[in-house]
Parts: sequence; structure tokens; C-alpha cells
Amino acid sequence: MAEPITVREIIADVIQQGRDTLRVGRETVYYLFRGQWNPAAVWEQLQQLGTRSLVFVLVTQGFLGAIMLLQAGFQATRILGDASLIGAQAIPLLVRQLGPTLTAMMIATRAGTAIAAEIGSMVVTEQVDALRMCNAPPVDYLIKPRLIGSIIMVPVLTIVGTAAAFFAGMAVASIVFDTNPSTYANFDVLVGLDVVEGLLKSVAFGIAIPLVAGTAGLSAYGGSEGVGEATTRAVVASSLAVIVLDFIIGSGVFLFR
Amino acid sequence: MIEFIDVRKAFGPKKVLAGVTVTVEPGEILFVIGKSGAGKSVLVKHLLGLIRPDSGTIRFEGQDITEWTEKDFYPLRRRCTMVFQHSTLFDSMTLLENVALPIRKHQGVSHEASLKMAMEKLELVQMDRMAQRHPADIGDGLRKRVAIARALTMDPEYVVFDEPTTGLDPVSAVRVDRLIRRLADELGVTSIVVSHDLRSIFGVADRIVMLYHGQVLLQGPPSVFRASEDPIVNQFINGLVDGPMEL
Repeated sequence: MAEPITVREIIADVIQQGRDTLRVGRETVYYLFRGQWNPAAVWEQLQQLGTRSLVFVLVTQGFLGAIMLLQAGFQATRILGDASLIGAQAIPLLVRQLGPTLTAMMIATRAGTAIAAEIGSMVVTEQVDALRMCNAPPVDYLIKPRLIGSIIMVPVLTIVGTAAAFFAGMAVASIVFDTNPSTYANFDVLVGLDVVEGLLKSVAFGIAIPLVAGTAGLSAYGGSEGVGEATTRAVVASSLAVIVLDFIIGSGVFLFR
Repeated sequence: MIEFIDVRKAFGPKKVLAGVTVTVEPGEILFVIGKSGAGKSVLVKHLLGLIRPDSGTIRFEGQDITEWTEKDFYPLRRRCTMVFQHSTLFDSMTLLENVALPIRKHQGVSHEASLKMAMEKLELVQMDRMAQRHPADIGDGLRKRVAIARALTMDPEYVVFDEPTTGLDPVSAVRVDRLIRRLADELGVTSIVVSHDLRSIFGVADRIVMLYHGQVLLQGPPSVFRASEDPIVNQFINGLVDGPMEL
């Protein structure tokens, strides 16, 4: 029977994971400048991230955009008697908050688990040790291409996901609340800082997800059970990282408003 | 000379090594034996920096390597290589590319030059005809031969073999045993062999170390093990089902 886990052990585990992720992050930065350059590996990661997450992001963001507009529209109609301004209200919220954060959460779930499972399997089957024996640092070979791919692909998926939510919301506004699409697409309230905040967040999430998930994979121990634990740890920790970064960046940008 | 001095290692609550002291003399073939989970592989991986000890000291040719960084270990891994238990070839690469990888990375030679050198090593283990195949296309025995070729690419002075004959047919196993013996006799290569294979142990070993409960239960030449009256040693080397050994 598994021993009970105390709160102290959980906190110690979170601190340890944070330290390990920072160490892997430092090593990755080092190998970004000093390591091997393998465009094929980066291209593969771009494809993997794109194909793994695109449909998932499109469908989920589309539905979330529709649900959000539906709820906001009901409230606006009930309180103001008019839903014509919901587009103007929803667009900044989508661009700076819901688009990047929800997309990143989905990528953390879909691609983060895949990264942890792939690397974790390599650890428990000693392939990572074999790489180390070949003078091929695992961070350089396994984490770096995933980080570069993620830094590029997470903002791209964020733009695609935000667009999906925007158009789904437009459809709901038009069908349910009889709002003209040109009235819905009101960008007057959107300011440059909203776009900067959204992009900044998506890049930060693009850095955090592969580092956190990759670190979880590298710390896998044992057999398939260890890979399972690493995968769970990856999705929990990367989702947590997304939320914490969202708060930090959101608060930081708020100070400039 | 390689020295493990009072090495301790735990994974979570599980103490795997509880103060192991072992010395490996130059040119000898040392077999590390013990039941599954006794910490044999964990012990030998400490030498290569693949696992770090919780406490204790590891010396390589008189140098304390316990606190070495990952980068410090790379030159050592050129002189001391390892054949992994499950061969551990990279599935995305051909057999030739698998053998060429350490040559390219350790020696910094071109891709083409590394492939040429790798082919020579594959010829040594009679695998040159299959050089363009992938690991998934061949059986365990052949994979093991390629893994041995990969470990020998750097002409190492020390080789760690982790269960080199496990899963092999008897003929292939004898071939591996002979190779280990030949490396020691002809090239003076020091070998540390983790094994359960009693035929290999008593056919090839110069010296044996038996681990039990994270500690050294007995060490010495095969004759010492044959003469031992320790019931656990007896049970293990005779492959007896009944006895005091905790499974």
C-alpha cells in the first residue's frame, strides 16, 4: 500500500520540481548558443506540436468562444436590453486573456503530456543514458528542439485559437442575438497593449510548457509506472506554470496601463 | 584502478546501496552479481556519472570523481564505455548511424568519416551486412552485437557490460563471453560485468562481487564463491529455489 503523502512532502516536491525546471532551463539556454544546430529536429517538433494540437485548439476554442458569447449575451440582454456591444467587450478579453491562456492549457494537456511521455520512456529504457554516453547532452538533443518549436508554435496556435473563438462568438452573436457581424467585430476598445500582453503571454507559455514537461520526463524513474507519474506531473505542473505566468504577466502589464 | 568507497544511494524510501566498497583492478574482469533489484546496475552507473551517490566516494585512476559535473564526465565516457542491458539503440537511426554517433560526438569527426569508422566496428561483430537496417528490424541478439560494437568504437580502456548475455541464445552468449575475455587478454581492457548468468560468471570472471541488501556479501575469485559456506551465496550460485535468500 502506498504511504500517505503529507502537505509538507507536496510542498517539497513542488519546490524540487521548480528547481529542476530552472536547472534544465539554464542548460537549455546554454545549449541554444553552444550546442548543435539541428533544423530537422526543430522542424519535426513544429510539425508534432502543430498536428497534435491544431484541431484540439480549434474545436475547444471555438466552443469556448461560443459559450462565452452566449453567457455574456444573455447577461447583456437581461441587464441592458441590448447585446450589440458584446463584441467590443469580448475581443480585448479574448486577445489578452482567454486566447493565450486557454490555448496554452490545451497545449499543456495535449503536447505537454506527449513530451513527458516520450522523454520519460527514453529515460526508463536507458536511451537518455545512452545519449549521455555518446557525448550527446539530453537537454541539447531532446529539450532544445522542443523549446524552439514551442516558442514558435504556441503563439501561432494562440492566434489560430483566438480567431476560432472570435468567429464562433460572431456566429452566436449573429444567430442568437441578431447582432450584425460588422457590429460584433468592433475593435475600437482593443488597444496595442492588449495585443502585446497576449503575445507576451503566449511566448512565455511556449517557453514554460516544454521546459516543465521535459523536466518531468527527464525525472522519470522506474518502468511504465514512472512514465505515467511523469506524465501526470507534467500536465499538473505545466498547467500551474501557465496560470502563475498568466497572473505575473497580467499584473505586470496592468501597471503600464 | 577504480574504487567505490562506502557508496550509498536511495531512491525515495528505497535504499538500494547501503555502503558498498569495491575495488576494480586494471585489466581484470569483475563480475557484479546478486538477485534482481540488488543494486548492481545502480552501482556500475555511478562510475560513469549516470547516477550520483547520496554519499561515499568514487575514484577513477586515483582521481575523486564523486563531485564531477556532467561535462567533466564526457572525457571519462570516452575511455570507459557501457553496453546497456537492453542494447538501447536509437530506433530512428540505422545500425551504422547508431555506431557512428559516439565517434562523431566524442571525436568531432565528419559524418562521412564517422560512418566509415563505424562500418569497421560493425565488421568486427559481423554486422556489416545489416548496417543499413534499423534496430526494430533485427532480433535481440543482433541488437546486442551492435550495442557492443558501439561501446567499442572509442577503443575504450574500461567497459561496463550490463547483463550482456541476458536474452541471448547459448551460442551468442558464448560469443559475448569470449569477446569479453579477448578484450581483457589481448587489449588489456578492464571489464565490469553485471550478470545473473552462472555459466558466464564461472567461465569468464577473474573476480566476483556479490551484492545483497545493498551491501557486499562476498567478493573474491570464483574459487572463493565455490568454497563459500554462506547459505545465501550457495543458494544463488547453485540456482536453488529454496533457501534463506529474500526474493
